[in-house]
Amino acid sequence: MDDGMKQMLVFTVLIGCLSWAPPRITVYLVGDSTMADKRVSEYPETGWGMPFHYFFDSSVIVDNRAMNGRSTRTFLEEGRWKAILSGLRAGDYVLIQFGHNDEVPTKKSYTPPDRFVANLEEFVAESRKMGAVPVLITPVARRRFDSTGHIEETHAVYTGLVKEVAARYHVPLVDLDHESQALLQFYGPQPSSYLFNHLSPGENPHYPQGRSDDTHFSELGARKIAEIVLQDIKNLHLGLADHIRVAKQQYKK
Amino acid sequence: MDIFKRIPGPVCNKKPSDGGRRSASIIACSGWRSGWLLGSLAALSFILPPGRKTTVWMIGDSTMCLYDSTRFPLTGWGMPFAEYFDSTVVIKNEAKGGRSTRTFIAENRWQQVVEQLSQGDYVIIQFGHNDEAKNYPDRYTPPDQYRSNLLKFVMDSRQKGALPVLVTPVSRRKFDREGNALETHAVYAGIVREVALQYRVPLVDLDQASLGLLRQYGPEYSKLLFNQLEPGTEPAYPSGVYDNTHFNTYGARHIAELVLSALDSLHLGIADHIARSKSKNL
Repeated sequence: MDDGMKQMLVFTVLIGCLSWAPPRITVYLVGDSTMADKRVSEYPETGWGMPFHYFFDSSVIVDNRAMNGRSTRTFLEEGRWKAILSGLRAGDYVLIQFGHNDEVPTKKSYTPPDRFVANLEEFVAESRKMGAVPVLITPVARRRFDSTGHIEETHAVYTGLVKEVAARYHVPLVDLDHESQALLQFYGPQPSSYLFNHLSPGENPHYPQGRSDDTHFSELGARKIAEIVLQDIKNLHLGLADHIRVAKQQYKK
Repeated sequence: MDIFKRIPGPVCNKKPSDGGRRSASIIACSGWRSGWLLGSLAALSFILPPGRKTTVWMIGDSTMCLYDSTRFPLTGWGMPFAEYFDSTVVIKNEAKGGRSTRTFIAENRWQQVVEQLSQGDYVIIQFGHNDEAKNYPDRYTPPDQYRSNLLKFVMDSRQKGALPVLVTPVSRRKFDREGNALETHAVYAGIVREVALQYRVPLVDLDQASLGLLRQYGPEYSKLLFNQLEPGTEPAYPSGVYDNTHFNTYGARHIAELVLSALDSLHLGIADHIARSKSKNL
Protein backbone atom coordinates (compact mmCIF):
# COMPACT_ATOMS: atom_id res chain seq x y z
CA MET A 1 0.00 0.00 0.00
CA ASP A 2 1.61 3.28 -1.01
CA ASP A 3 1.34 6.49 0.98
CA GLY A 4 -1.37 7.89 -1.23
CA MET A 5 -3.55 4.88 -0.67
CA LYS A 6 -2.87 4.99 3.07
CA GLN A 7 -3.87 8.63 3.20
CA MET A 8 -6.97 7.84 1.21
CA LEU A 9 -7.85 5.00 3.58
CA VAL A 10 -7.34 7.13 6.69
CA PHE A 11 -9.40 9.89 5.13
CA THR A 12 -12.22 7.49 4.26
CA VAL A 13 -12.26 6.03 7.76
CA LEU A 14 -12.25 9.52 9.28
CA ILE A 15 -15.17 10.65 7.15
CA GLY A 16 -16.94 7.42 7.97
CA CYS A 17 -16.51 8.06 11.69
CA LEU A 18 -17.67 11.63 11.44
CA SER A 19 -20.80 10.80 9.51
CA TRP A 20 -21.65 7.66 11.48
CA ALA A 21 -24.80 7.85 13.56
CA PRO A 22 -26.69 4.94 15.06
CA PRO A 23 -29.33 3.86 12.56
CA ARG A 24 -32.77 4.95 13.59
CA ILE A 25 -35.54 2.40 13.65
CA THR A 26 -39.10 3.54 13.34
CA VAL A 27 -41.81 1.35 14.81
CA TYR A 28 -45.10 2.20 13.14
CA LEU A 29 -48.24 1.34 15.06
CA VAL A 30 -51.09 0.68 12.67
CA GLY A 31 -54.51 0.03 14.15
CA ASP A 32 -57.64 1.30 15.84
CA SER A 33 -58.74 3.16 18.99
CA THR A 34 -57.49 0.46 21.37
CA MET A 35 -53.97 1.32 20.20
CA ALA A 36 -54.25 5.03 19.32
CA ASP A 37 -52.81 8.10 21.03
CA LYS A 38 -55.66 10.08 22.61
CA ARG A 39 -56.45 13.77 22.78
CA VAL A 40 -56.05 15.21 26.29
CA SER A 41 -59.82 15.80 26.39
CA GLU A 42 -60.30 12.03 26.04
CA TYR A 43 -58.05 11.20 29.02
CA PRO A 44 -57.99 8.97 31.00
CA GLU A 45 -58.94 6.78 28.04
CA THR A 46 -55.58 5.43 26.91
CA GLY A 47 -54.52 3.48 23.84
CA TRP A 48 -51.89 0.84 24.43
CA GLY A 49 -49.64 2.56 21.93
CA MET A 50 -49.22 5.44 24.39
CA PRO A 51 -47.23 3.60 27.10
CA PHE A 52 -45.52 1.63 24.31
CA HIS A 53 -43.60 4.86 23.48
CA TYR A 54 -41.63 4.59 26.72
CA PHE A 55 -40.10 1.15 26.24
CA PHE A 56 -37.25 1.74 23.82
CA ASP A 57 -33.84 3.36 23.76
CA SER A 58 -33.11 6.48 21.75
CA SER A 59 -32.40 4.53 18.55
CA VAL A 60 -36.10 3.72 18.23
CA ILE A 61 -38.93 6.07 17.36
CA VAL A 62 -42.44 4.82 18.01
CA ASP A 63 -44.73 6.46 15.46
CA ASN A 64 -48.30 5.71 16.51
CA ARG A 65 -50.50 6.07 13.41
CA ALA A 66 -53.43 4.13 14.90
CA MET A 67 -56.72 6.04 14.71
CA ASN A 68 -60.02 5.80 16.56
CA GLY A 69 -62.74 4.05 14.56
CA ARG A 70 -60.57 2.70 11.75
CA SER A 71 -60.81 -0.72 10.14
CA THR A 72 -58.22 -2.12 7.72
CA ARG A 73 -60.46 -0.88 4.91
CA THR A 74 -60.97 2.71 6.08
CA PHE A 75 -57.32 2.98 7.12
CA LEU A 76 -56.36 2.12 3.55
CA GLU A 77 -59.10 4.20 1.90
CA GLU A 78 -58.13 7.33 3.80
CA GLY A 79 -54.57 7.07 2.51
CA ARG A 80 -53.16 6.43 5.97
CA TRP A 81 -51.29 3.33 4.89
CA LYS A 82 -49.91 5.06 1.81
CA ALA A 83 -48.60 7.85 4.02
CA ILE A 84 -46.70 5.30 6.13
CA LEU A 85 -45.33 3.52 3.05
CA SER A 86 -43.86 6.73 1.69
CA GLY A 87 -41.60 6.99 4.73
CA LEU A 88 -41.02 3.31 5.45
CA ARG A 89 -37.36 2.23 5.42
CA ALA A 90 -35.53 -1.05 5.59
CA GLY A 91 -35.24 -2.20 9.20
CA ASP A 92 -38.39 -0.42 10.35
CA TYR A 93 -41.18 -2.34 12.07
CA VAL A 94 -44.89 -2.25 11.39
CA LEU A 95 -47.13 -3.46 14.21
CA ILE A 96 -50.60 -4.14 12.83
CA GLN A 97 -53.69 -4.55 15.03
CA PHE A 98 -57.16 -4.30 13.53
CA GLY A 99 -60.44 -6.11 13.95
CA HIS A 100 -62.68 -4.14 16.33
CA ASN A 101 -64.11 -2.02 13.53
CA ASP A 102 -63.71 -4.53 10.72
CA GLU A 103 -65.85 -7.23 12.35
CA VAL A 104 -69.05 -5.29 13.10
CA PRO A 105 -71.45 -5.53 10.12
CA THR A 106 -73.49 -2.56 11.40
CA LYS A 107 -70.49 -0.23 11.41
CA LYS A 108 -69.61 1.89 8.39
CA SER A 109 -66.08 0.61 8.76
CA TYR A 110 -67.19 -3.01 8.31
CA THR A 111 -64.80 -5.15 6.31
CA PRO A 112 -65.95 -8.63 5.23
CA PRO A 113 -63.61 -11.49 6.20
CA ASP A 114 -62.06 -12.06 2.75
CA ARG A 115 -61.42 -8.33 2.38
CA PHE A 116 -59.91 -8.22 5.89
CA VAL A 117 -57.51 -11.00 4.89
CA ALA A 118 -56.60 -9.24 1.65
CA ASN A 119 -55.94 -5.99 3.51
CA LEU A 120 -53.69 -7.68 6.06
CA GLU A 121 -51.84 -9.34 3.18
CA GLU A 122 -51.38 -5.93 1.60
CA PHE A 123 -49.88 -4.49 4.83
CA VAL A 124 -47.52 -7.47 5.09
CA ALA A 125 -46.42 -7.63 1.44
CA GLU A 126 -45.87 -3.90 1.09
CA SER A 127 -43.96 -3.66 4.39
CA ARG A 128 -41.69 -6.47 3.24
CA LYS A 129 -41.19 -4.90 -0.16
CA MET A 130 -39.72 -1.89 1.65
CA GLY A 131 -37.49 -4.10 3.79
CA ALA A 132 -39.54 -3.45 6.91
CA VAL A 133 -40.67 -6.14 9.36
CA PRO A 134 -44.42 -6.55 9.74
CA VAL A 135 -45.81 -7.96 12.99
CA LEU A 136 -49.43 -9.09 13.08
CA ILE A 137 -51.40 -8.64 16.30
CA THR A 138 -54.78 -10.23 16.98
CA PRO A 139 -57.41 -7.74 18.23
CA VAL A 140 -57.17 -7.06 21.97
CA ALA A 141 -60.04 -8.57 23.98
CA ARG A 142 -63.12 -6.73 25.12
CA ARG A 143 -64.21 -7.10 28.75
CA ARG A 144 -67.04 -9.61 28.58
CA PHE A 145 -67.54 -12.42 31.09
CA ASP A 146 -70.17 -15.12 31.08
CA SER A 147 -72.46 -15.73 34.06
CA THR A 148 -69.96 -18.15 35.59
CA GLY A 149 -67.16 -15.57 35.54
CA HIS A 150 -65.32 -16.87 32.50
CA ILE A 151 -63.96 -14.47 29.93
CA GLU A 152 -65.67 -14.72 26.55
CA GLU A 153 -64.03 -14.66 23.15
CA THR A 154 -65.07 -11.37 21.53
CA HIS A 155 -63.19 -11.57 18.21
CA ALA A 156 -63.42 -15.28 17.28
CA VAL A 157 -63.63 -14.93 13.51
CA TYR A 158 -61.30 -11.99 12.94
CA THR A 159 -58.64 -13.21 15.37
CA GLY A 160 -58.64 -16.49 13.44
CA LEU A 161 -58.11 -14.58 10.20
CA VAL A 162 -55.09 -12.71 11.60
CA LYS A 163 -53.56 -16.00 12.73
CA GLU A 164 -54.14 -17.58 9.30
CA VAL A 165 -52.40 -14.74 7.49
CA ALA A 166 -49.52 -14.87 9.98
CA ALA A 167 -49.09 -18.62 9.54
CA ARG A 168 -49.39 -18.56 5.76
CA TYR A 169 -46.82 -15.81 5.26
CA HIS A 170 -44.60 -16.57 8.28
CA VAL A 171 -45.32 -13.22 9.85
CA PRO A 172 -44.35 -12.79 13.53
CA LEU A 173 -47.60 -12.98 15.50
CA VAL A 174 -48.64 -11.46 18.81
CA ASP A 175 -51.81 -13.29 19.87
CA LEU A 176 -53.01 -10.35 21.89
CA ASP A 177 -56.63 -11.51 21.87
CA HIS A 178 -55.65 -14.70 23.67
CA GLU A 179 -53.16 -13.06 26.03
CA SER A 180 -55.40 -10.16 26.97
CA GLN A 181 -58.21 -12.61 27.72
CA ALA A 182 -55.84 -14.33 30.13
CA LEU A 183 -55.07 -10.95 31.72
CA LEU A 184 -58.78 -10.19 32.16
CA GLN A 185 -59.43 -13.66 33.56
CA PHE A 186 -56.57 -13.20 36.02
CA TYR A 187 -58.16 -9.96 37.28
CA GLY A 188 -61.65 -11.44 37.28
CA PRO A 189 -65.07 -10.07 36.30
CA GLN A 190 -65.17 -7.09 38.69
CA PRO A 191 -61.54 -5.96 39.16
CA SER A 192 -60.89 -6.18 35.41
CA SER A 193 -62.92 -2.96 35.17
CA TYR A 194 -59.84 -1.16 36.58
CA LEU A 195 -58.11 -1.94 33.29
CA PHE A 196 -60.81 -0.15 31.29
CA ASN A 197 -62.11 3.40 31.13
CA HIS A 198 -64.61 3.03 33.94
CA LEU A 199 -65.45 6.27 35.74
CA SER A 200 -68.22 6.99 38.20
CA PRO A 201 -70.40 10.07 37.62
CA GLY A 202 -68.61 13.20 38.87
CA GLU A 203 -65.30 11.42 39.24
CA ASN A 204 -63.54 12.85 36.22
CA PRO A 205 -64.14 16.27 34.63
CA HIS A 206 -63.74 14.90 31.12
CA TYR A 207 -66.63 12.48 31.69
CA PRO A 208 -69.06 14.28 34.03
CA GLN A 209 -71.74 11.60 33.58
CA GLY A 210 -69.25 8.82 34.15
CA ARG A 211 -68.23 6.08 31.77
CA SER A 212 -68.45 2.28 31.54
CA ASP A 213 -66.34 1.40 28.57
CA ASP A 214 -65.41 -2.28 28.19
CA THR A 215 -63.39 -1.78 25.02
CA HIS A 216 -61.07 1.15 25.73
CA PHE A 217 -58.43 1.14 28.42
CA SER A 218 -57.48 3.15 31.45
CA GLU A 219 -53.81 4.07 31.95
CA LEU A 220 -53.45 0.83 33.88
CA GLY A 221 -54.97 -1.42 31.24
CA ALA A 222 -53.08 0.25 28.40
CA ARG A 223 -49.80 -0.29 30.21
CA LYS A 224 -50.57 -3.94 30.97
CA ILE A 225 -51.43 -4.55 27.29
CA ALA A 226 -48.30 -2.73 26.10
CA GLU A 227 -46.24 -4.88 28.47
CA ILE A 228 -47.72 -8.03 26.91
CA VAL A 229 -46.78 -6.86 23.41
CA LEU A 230 -43.28 -5.96 24.62
CA GLN A 231 -42.84 -9.39 26.19
CA ASP A 232 -43.91 -11.06 22.94
CA ILE A 233 -41.40 -8.98 20.98
CA LYS A 234 -38.75 -10.44 23.29
CA ASN A 235 -40.15 -13.97 22.96
CA LEU A 236 -40.25 -13.71 19.16
CA HIS A 237 -36.53 -12.75 19.20
CA LEU A 238 -37.19 -9.82 16.94
CA GLY A 239 -34.20 -7.52 16.46
CA LEU A 240 -36.30 -4.77 17.98
CA ALA A 241 -35.93 -6.50 21.36
CA ASP A 242 -32.25 -5.46 21.38
CA HIS A 243 -33.41 -1.85 21.60
CA ILE A 244 -35.58 -2.17 24.69
CA ARG A 245 -34.41 0.45 27.11
CA VAL A 246 -31.98 -0.66 29.78
CA ALA A 247 -32.36 1.12 33.11
CA LYS A 248 -29.27 3.12 34.06
CA GLN A 249 -29.99 2.76 37.72
CA GLN A 250 -32.27 0.69 39.84
CA TYR A 251 -35.06 2.57 41.51
CA LYS A 252 -35.51 0.50 44.60
CA LYS A 253 -37.64 1.50 47.47
CA MET B 1 -69.32 43.06 24.14
CA ASP B 2 -69.21 46.68 22.95
CA ILE B 3 -65.96 46.14 21.19
CA PHE B 4 -67.43 43.14 19.47
CA LYS B 5 -70.41 45.14 18.17
CA ARG B 6 -68.21 47.86 16.75
CA ILE B 7 -66.37 45.41 14.55
CA PRO B 8 -67.64 45.99 11.00
CA GLY B 9 -68.90 43.14 8.87
CA PRO B 10 -66.54 41.20 6.66
CA VAL B 11 -64.77 42.89 3.81
CA CYS B 12 -64.08 40.32 1.16
CA ASN B 13 -60.62 41.38 0.24
CA LYS B 14 -59.57 38.98 -2.51
CA LYS B 15 -56.05 40.35 -2.52
CA PRO B 16 -54.90 40.54 1.06
CA SER B 17 -52.21 43.16 1.42
CA ASP B 18 -50.15 41.33 3.98
CA GLY B 19 -49.63 37.85 5.34
CA GLY B 20 -50.89 38.73 8.75
CA ARG B 21 -54.42 39.44 7.57
CA ARG B 22 -54.47 36.83 4.89
CA SER B 23 -55.92 34.03 7.00
CA ALA B 24 -58.63 36.27 8.41
CA SER B 25 -59.67 37.42 4.95
CA ILE B 26 -59.79 33.93 3.55
CA ILE B 27 -61.94 32.73 6.42
CA ALA B 28 -64.17 35.79 6.15
CA CYS B 29 -64.88 35.01 2.50
CA SER B 30 -65.65 31.35 3.04
CA GLY B 31 -69.24 31.81 4.08
CA TRP B 32 -71.37 34.74 5.11
CA ARG B 33 -72.52 33.93 8.62
CA SER B 34 -69.63 31.85 9.93
CA GLY B 35 -67.31 34.04 7.91
CA TRP B 36 -68.47 37.18 9.64
CA LEU B 37 -68.05 35.61 13.05
CA LEU B 38 -64.67 34.07 12.37
CA GLY B 39 -63.45 37.20 10.64
CA SER B 40 -64.50 39.29 13.60
CA LEU B 41 -62.81 36.96 16.03
CA ALA B 42 -59.65 37.00 13.95
CA ALA B 43 -59.76 40.80 13.87
CA LEU B 44 -60.31 40.89 17.63
CA SER B 45 -57.21 38.86 18.17
CA PHE B 46 -55.19 41.72 16.66
CA ILE B 47 -56.91 44.38 18.76
CA LEU B 48 -57.15 42.80 22.19
CA PRO B 49 -54.17 41.76 24.26
CA PRO B 50 -54.14 38.03 24.89
CA GLY B 51 -56.38 37.14 27.82
CA ARG B 52 -54.58 37.06 31.12
CA LYS B 53 -53.84 33.56 32.22
CA THR B 54 -54.08 32.27 35.75
CA THR B 55 -51.01 30.48 36.99
CA VAL B 56 -51.38 27.63 39.43
CA TRP B 57 -48.11 27.00 41.24
CA MET B 58 -47.60 23.62 42.79
CA ILE B 59 -45.06 23.16 45.56
CA GLY B 60 -44.47 19.86 47.24
CA ASP B 61 -42.59 16.58 47.17
CA SER B 62 -42.10 13.42 45.09
CA THR B 63 -45.77 12.43 45.28
CA MET B 64 -46.68 15.61 43.34
CA CYS B 65 -43.70 16.32 41.10
CA LEU B 66 -43.03 15.79 37.40
CA TYR B 67 -41.10 12.72 36.26
CA ASP B 68 -39.09 12.07 33.15
CA SER B 69 -40.55 9.37 30.86
CA THR B 70 -37.49 7.20 31.64
CA ARG B 71 -39.06 6.64 35.06
CA PHE B 72 -42.42 5.52 33.60
CA PRO B 73 -44.84 4.43 35.01
CA LEU B 74 -43.80 6.48 38.07
CA THR B 75 -46.09 9.54 38.10
CA GLY B 76 -46.59 12.49 40.43
CA TRP B 77 -50.21 13.54 40.86
CA GLY B 78 -49.37 17.00 39.57
CA MET B 79 -48.84 15.47 36.12
CA PRO B 80 -52.41 14.33 35.36
CA PHE B 81 -53.75 17.28 37.41
CA ALA B 82 -52.43 19.64 34.72
CA GLU B 83 -54.52 17.89 32.05
CA TYR B 84 -57.85 19.01 33.48
CA PHE B 85 -57.85 22.79 32.98
CA ASP B 86 -58.88 24.99 30.09
CA SER B 87 -56.41 27.10 28.14
CA THR B 88 -56.69 30.09 30.50
CA VAL B 89 -54.79 28.18 33.19
CA VAL B 90 -51.06 27.57 33.32
CA ILE B 91 -49.80 24.94 35.74
CA LYS B 92 -46.26 25.37 37.08
CA ASN B 93 -45.31 22.27 38.95
CA GLU B 94 -42.30 23.20 41.11
CA ALA B 95 -42.59 20.16 43.38
CA LYS B 96 -39.35 18.26 43.85
CA GLY B 97 -38.63 14.76 45.08
CA GLY B 98 -37.21 14.41 48.58
CA ARG B 99 -38.06 17.94 49.66
CA SER B 100 -39.55 18.95 52.98
CA THR B 101 -40.89 22.45 53.70
CA ARG B 102 -37.52 23.17 55.30
CA THR B 103 -35.30 22.07 52.41
CA PHE B 104 -37.66 23.57 49.81
CA ILE B 105 -37.12 26.93 51.48
CA ALA B 106 -33.42 26.40 52.25
CA GLU B 107 -32.68 25.62 48.60
CA ASN B 108 -34.26 28.91 47.59
CA ARG B 109 -36.99 27.12 45.65
CA TRP B 110 -39.77 28.97 47.45
CA GLN B 111 -38.12 32.34 46.99
CA GLN B 112 -37.96 31.75 43.24
CA VAL B 113 -41.69 31.01 43.16
CA VAL B 114 -42.48 34.10 45.28
CA GLU B 115 -40.58 36.32 42.87
CA GLN B 116 -42.78 35.12 40.00
CA LEU B 117 -46.12 35.21 41.83
CA SER B 118 -48.79 37.49 40.41
CA GLN B 119 -52.08 38.75 41.75
CA GLY B 120 -54.73 36.05 41.28
CA ASP B 121 -52.31 33.15 41.03
CA TYR B 122 -52.88 30.00 43.07
CA VAL B 123 -50.31 28.19 45.19
CA ILE B 124 -51.08 24.56 45.96
CA ILE B 125 -48.98 23.35 48.87
CA GLN B 126 -48.47 19.70 49.76
CA PHE B 127 -45.61 18.65 52.03
CA GLY B 128 -45.22 16.21 54.90
CA HIS B 129 -43.70 12.94 53.66
CA ASN B 130 -40.16 14.21 54.10
CA ASP B 131 -40.82 16.67 56.92
CA GLU B 132 -42.02 13.85 59.16
CA ALA B 133 -39.19 11.45 58.27
CA LYS B 134 -37.05 11.41 61.41
CA ASN B 135 -34.84 8.75 59.85
CA TYR B 136 -33.79 11.27 57.15
CA PRO B 137 -32.17 14.06 59.22
CA ASP B 138 -31.35 15.99 56.04
CA ARG B 139 -35.09 16.26 55.30
CA TYR B 140 -36.72 16.14 58.72
CA THR B 141 -38.58 19.20 59.93
CA PRO B 142 -39.83 19.27 63.52
CA PRO B 143 -43.58 19.96 63.92
CA ASP B 144 -43.15 23.57 65.06
CA GLN B 145 -40.93 24.43 62.17
CA TYR B 146 -43.24 22.60 59.76
CA ARG B 147 -46.10 24.78 61.01
CA SER B 148 -44.15 28.01 60.65
CA ASN B 149 -42.96 27.02 57.16
CA LEU B 150 -46.54 26.37 56.03
CA LEU B 151 -47.49 29.73 57.47
CA LYS B 152 -44.66 31.34 55.53
CA PHE B 153 -45.98 29.84 52.27
CA VAL B 154 -49.44 31.18 53.11
CA MET B 155 -48.34 34.68 54.13
CA ASP B 156 -45.84 35.17 51.31
CA SER B 157 -48.48 34.06 48.79
CA ARG B 158 -51.12 36.39 50.20
CA GLN B 159 -48.71 39.30 50.25
CA LYS B 160 -48.33 38.90 46.50
CA GLY B 161 -52.10 38.68 46.04
CA ALA B 162 -51.97 34.98 45.31
CA LEU B 163 -54.33 32.42 46.80
CA PRO B 164 -52.71 29.65 48.83
CA VAL B 165 -54.39 26.23 49.07
CA LEU B 166 -53.14 23.82 51.72
CA VAL B 167 -53.17 20.10 50.96
CA THR B 168 -52.64 17.45 53.62
CA PRO B 169 -50.04 14.84 52.59
CA VAL B 170 -51.42 12.10 50.36
CA SER B 171 -51.68 8.76 52.16
CA ARG B 172 -49.16 5.97 51.94
CA ARG B 173 -50.46 2.46 51.36
CA LYS B 174 -50.53 0.75 54.72
CA PHE B 175 -53.07 -1.83 55.85
CA ASP B 176 -53.26 -3.78 59.09
CA ARG B 177 -53.75 -7.54 59.20
CA GLU B 178 -57.50 -7.16 59.25
CA GLY B 179 -57.32 -5.18 56.02
CA ASN B 180 -57.98 -1.74 57.49
CA ALA B 181 -56.25 1.18 55.78
CA LEU B 182 -54.11 2.96 58.37
CA GLU B 183 -53.52 6.67 58.81
CA THR B 184 -49.92 7.34 57.75
CA HIS B 185 -49.51 11.08 58.39
CA ALA B 186 -51.47 11.60 61.62
CA VAL B 187 -49.34 14.34 63.18
CA TYR B 188 -48.30 16.29 60.10
CA ALA B 189 -51.71 16.15 58.39
CA GLY B 190 -53.14 17.47 61.66
CA ILE B 191 -50.76 20.42 61.56
CA VAL B 192 -51.83 21.31 58.01
CA ARG B 193 -55.49 21.24 59.10
CA GLU B 194 -54.73 23.47 62.07
CA VAL B 195 -52.92 26.08 59.99
CA ALA B 196 -55.72 26.02 57.42
CA LEU B 197 -58.37 26.53 60.06
CA GLN B 198 -56.49 29.18 62.00
CA TYR B 199 -55.62 31.29 58.96
CA ARG B 200 -58.72 30.50 56.90
CA VAL B 201 -56.76 28.87 54.11
CA PRO B 202 -58.73 26.69 51.68
CA LEU B 203 -57.93 23.10 52.62
CA VAL B 204 -57.83 19.96 50.52
CA ASP B 205 -57.76 17.09 52.98
CA LEU B 206 -55.98 14.75 50.62
CA ASP B 207 -54.78 12.55 53.47
CA GLN B 208 -58.38 11.62 54.27
CA ALA B 209 -59.60 11.57 50.69
CA SER B 210 -56.80 9.27 49.53
CA LEU B 211 -57.31 7.06 52.59
CA GLY B 212 -60.90 6.68 51.36
CA LEU B 213 -59.61 5.70 47.93
CA LEU B 214 -57.33 3.06 49.48
CA ARG B 215 -60.26 1.65 51.47
CA GLN B 216 -62.32 1.51 48.31
CA TYR B 217 -59.62 -0.52 46.52
CA GLY B 218 -58.75 -2.62 49.58
CA PRO B 219 -55.44 -4.17 50.65
CA GLU B 220 -54.78 -6.13 47.45
CA TYR B 221 -56.10 -3.97 44.61
CA SER B 222 -54.77 -0.70 46.09
CA LYS B 223 -51.39 -1.93 44.85
CA LEU B 224 -52.65 -1.07 41.36
CA LEU B 225 -52.49 2.62 42.28
CA PHE B 226 -48.84 2.57 43.29
CA ASN B 227 -45.60 2.02 41.46
CA GLN B 228 -45.51 -1.71 42.01
CA LEU B 229 -44.08 -3.82 39.22
CA GLU B 230 -43.17 -7.43 38.74
CA PRO B 231 -39.54 -8.06 37.74
CA GLY B 232 -39.04 -7.88 33.98
CA THR B 233 -42.31 -6.15 33.11
CA GLU B 234 -41.05 -2.58 32.74
CA PRO B 235 -37.70 -1.67 31.17
CA ALA B 236 -37.10 1.04 33.76
CA TYR B 237 -37.38 -1.45 36.64
CA PRO B 238 -35.80 -4.75 35.52
CA SER B 239 -35.83 -6.26 39.00
CA GLY B 240 -39.29 -4.96 39.78
CA VAL B 241 -40.33 -2.39 42.34
CA TYR B 242 -42.50 -2.43 45.44
CA ASP B 243 -43.42 1.12 46.33
CA ASN B 244 -46.22 2.06 48.74
CA THR B 245 -45.64 5.82 48.53
CA HIS B 246 -45.32 6.78 44.87
CA PHE B 247 -48.03 6.39 42.27
CA ASN B 248 -48.21 4.97 38.79
CA THR B 249 -50.10 6.79 36.03
CA TYR B 250 -53.37 5.23 37.13
CA GLY B 251 -53.00 6.08 40.83
CA ALA B 252 -51.74 9.61 40.16
CA ARG B 253 -54.81 10.31 38.06
CA HIS B 254 -57.10 9.09 40.84
CA ILE B 255 -55.33 11.39 43.31
CA ALA B 256 -55.61 14.30 40.85
CA GLU B 257 -59.35 13.59 40.57
CA LEU B 258 -59.68 13.88 44.35
CA VAL B 259 -57.90 17.24 44.37
CA LEU B 260 -59.95 18.56 41.43
CA SER B 261 -63.12 17.49 43.15
CA ALA B 262 -62.03 19.23 46.37
CA LEU B 263 -61.24 22.48 44.50
CA ASP B 264 -64.75 22.29 43.10
CA SER B 265 -66.30 21.77 46.55
CA LEU B 266 -64.33 24.74 47.91
CA HIS B 267 -65.94 26.93 45.20
CA LEU B 268 -62.55 28.37 44.31
CA GLY B 269 -62.51 30.52 41.18
CA ILE B 270 -60.04 28.16 39.56
CA ALA B 271 -62.72 25.45 39.59
CA ASP B 272 -64.53 27.41 36.85
CA HIS B 273 -61.59 26.63 34.60
CA ILE B 274 -61.63 22.88 35.07
CA ALA B 275 -62.05 21.45 31.57
CA ARG B 276 -65.40 19.72 31.72
CA SER B 277 -66.75 17.92 28.74
CA LYS B 278 -70.43 18.42 28.01
CA SER B 279 -70.94 15.73 25.43
CA LYS B 280 -69.70 12.51 26.99
CA ASN B 281 -72.30 9.87 27.75
CA LEU B 282 -72.28 6.84 29.95
